[in-house]
Amino acid sequence: MFNIPPPEILLQLSLNGALGGAMYGVAAVGLSLIFGTMRLIFLAQGAMIILAAYFVRALFYGLGIDPFLSLLIVVPVGLCVGWLIYQGLFRKAAAEEDRNVSLLIAVGLMFLVQNLMTVIWGGNTAGIVTTYTASGIELFGVRTSFTRSMGFLIALAGTGLVVLFLRKTLVGKAVRAASEDMEAATLMGISPHRVNAIAFAIGIGLAGAAGVAVATTFPFNPFAGFIFSLKALVALALGGIGNVAGALAGGILLGLIEAYVQYFISGGWTNAIAYGVFLAVLMFKPEGLFSRPYKKA
Amino acid sequence: MQHAWKWIAVIVVAALALLPLLPGAVDSYAFSFLFFVFIYAIMAQGWNLVAGFGGQISLGNHAFFGLGAYTTAILWSGNYLWGSLYDSHPNVYYFDPVTMVLGGLVAAFAAVLVGLPLLSKLRGDYFALGTLGFGEIVKVMFINGGDFTGGAFGIVAPASTFDTLRPHYLVGLGLVVGVALAIRTLMRSRYGLALIAVRDDEMAASANGIDTLRVKVAAFAGSAFIAGIAGSLYTYYIFHVGPDSVFDLDWMLLPLMMTVVGGTGTLLGPILGAFVMYAVFDLARIVVPDYHPVISGLTIILAMLFLPKGLMRSFAGRSQSV
Repeated sequence: MFNIPPPEILLQLSLNGALGGAMYGVAAVGLSLIFGTMRLIFLAQGAMIILAAYFVRALFYGLGIDPFLSLLIVVPVGLCVGWLIYQGLFRKAAAEEDRNVSLLIAVGLMFLVQNLMTVIWGGNTAGIVTTYTASGIELFGVRTSFTRSMGFLIALAGTGLVVLFLRKTLVGKAVRAASEDMEAATLMGISPHRVNAIAFAIGIGLAGAAGVAVATTFPFNPFAGFIFSLKALVALALGGIGNVAGALAGGILLGLIEAYVQYFISGGWTNAIAYGVFLAVLMFKPEGLFSRPYKKA
Repeated sequence: MQHAWKWIAVIVVAALALLPLLPGAVDSYAFSFLFFVFIYAIMAQGWNLVAGFGGQISLGNHAFFGLGAYTTAILWSGNYLWGSLYDSHPNVYYFDPVTMVLGGLVAAFAAVLVGLPLLSKLRGDYFALGTLGFGEIVKVMFINGGDFTGGAFGIVAPASTFDTLRPHYLVGLGLVVGVALAIRTLMRSRYGLALIAVRDDEMAASANGIDTLRVKVAAFAGSAFIAGIAGSLYTYYIFHVGPDSVFDLDWMLLPLMMTVVGGTGTLLGPILGAFVMYAVFDLARIVVPDYHPVISGLTIILAMLFLPKGLMRSFAGRSQSV
C-alpha cells in the first residue's frame, strides 16, 4: 500500500495539491485580517467567495466579460461591499464587546447569502467554460491546467499586495498595530472602526479574487462555500493566526496534505486527517507552523 | 419578579402537559411544532451550560447530538449488544430510558476525551475552532464507520412501534423541565458558583483554589450529555440517523442562535429563544416557502443588531441570572 510511487507522480500530486491549496490560502488571508482586528471568526467568508464566483459567471455569460478580466470589476466591488458590510452589520456589534453577537451576525449573513444565491441562480452546480478551460501547461513532465495556474498566480499576487499594503503604508501599519493590541492602538489614536472596516474591505476584496479563481477552476453551488470557510480556518491555524503570509502558506500546506492523503490513504479520510492536523497544530503549536520568534504581520 | 416567573413557568408547563388530552391535539400541527421546540430548547440549554454559564464557546455540540443519536440507533436497531433479546420483544427498547442515558453518556465520555486536552491547552477562540474541527472529524469517522454505523447512508431503526407523537412530546417536555431544574440546582450549588467564577475571571478563580480545568471539562461534558439525550430523543422520532442529518451543523448553529436571542447565561433564555426563533423559522417556511432560509438569515442579523443582549435580559430586567 505504501509503495513509493515514481517521482513524476509525487511531483504531480504536490503540484495539484499546492495549486488547489492556494485557494484555501486566499480565503484564509481574508479571514486572518478580519480575525486579526476584530477577533471574529467570519464564517461567511466562503459564502462570499461563492457569491463572487456567481457574479463572475454572470459577467461572463451576461456581458461576455472574460473571467480573468473581471478581476478588475470584482475586486473593487468586493472592497466596497466589505466596507459596507462592516459599517452596516458589524460596527455596532464590534463596539458591544460580546463576540457571540458578531459570530452570529456572520452566521446569519452566511445563511442569507447562500439562500439568496439559491433563489437567484438555483441550487444546481454551475461553472464557467471558456475557450481556454481545457488547455494545459506541461513542465518537466508534470501537467496542470491553465486556469489552475492562473488561480495560483491570483492567490500569490493577492497575498503579496496585502502584505505590501500592511508593511509599506501607514494605514496598513495601523491595521497591524490593531491586530497586535487593539487597546494600545486605540490609545495611539487609531480608530478601531476604521481599522476594522479596512480589514473587512480587504477581506471581501480577496474573496472577490478567490471567486474568480474558483469560478474558472471548479464547478460550484450556493452551499459550497461553507467547506471553504472551514478549510480556510484550518489554513489559518496552520499558518498562525494573524500571520497573513503564513495563511497562504498554510493553505498550500493543507492542499498538499489533502492531495497526499487522497493518494496514499483514501479520499474518504481526507477531511478527518486535515482536521486532525488542525487540532494537533492548535494544541502543540498554536502560534502556527510558520511563526518566527517575534510576531510579524 | 423572581416569584412571578416561577408561577408563569409552572402554569405554562402544566398547560403543555395537559395539551395531549385535548381531542385532536395530538394530530395537530402545533403538537409537532412544540415537539421540535422542545428538542431545540434542550440543545440550547446544553450549549448555554458550557458557553453561557461556563464562557467556553463550543462549536461542536452537533457532534454530541449525533453521538447520542447514533448510540440510540445502534442499540435500538438491535444488531449488537442485545440483539437476541430485541428480536423476541420488538417493543422493549422503544423509548428505553437506559438507552437515552447511554446516548448521553457516550456523548459526555467523548466530551471528556476531547475536552481534557483541548481545554487544558486552548482558550477562547482557539477552543471554539478546536471543537469545530472535532465535530467534522466525528462526522467523517461515522461516514467511514462501515457496517457498524451504516456508512454514508446511516442506520434505519425499526419503525413498527410508531403510531403517535404523544410519547415523544411528553418525554421532550419532561426533558426540558428536567434539564432546566437540573441546571437551576447546579448553578446554585458550589459547582455553579465555581463555573461562573471561571467564566468571569479564570486567573482569580484559580488563585482561589478552583481547579479550573476540572470545572470547565465538567461543564463541557454536562453540555454534551444534554446534547446526547436530545439526539436520542430525535432518533426515536426520525427513525433514520445518517451523517448528513444528525451531524448537520444546524444542530449546533440553531441552538446557539436561540440561546443568544433568548439570553446567554440565563435559565429561561434558551427555552424562550428556542420557542421564538423556531416560530419565526416555521412561520417563514409556511408563508414564504421559497424564501424561508433567506428570512431566517435576515432574522438572525436583525435580532443581533437590535437585541444583542437577548430577550431575557432586555425585557425581564437584570435579576435573571439564574
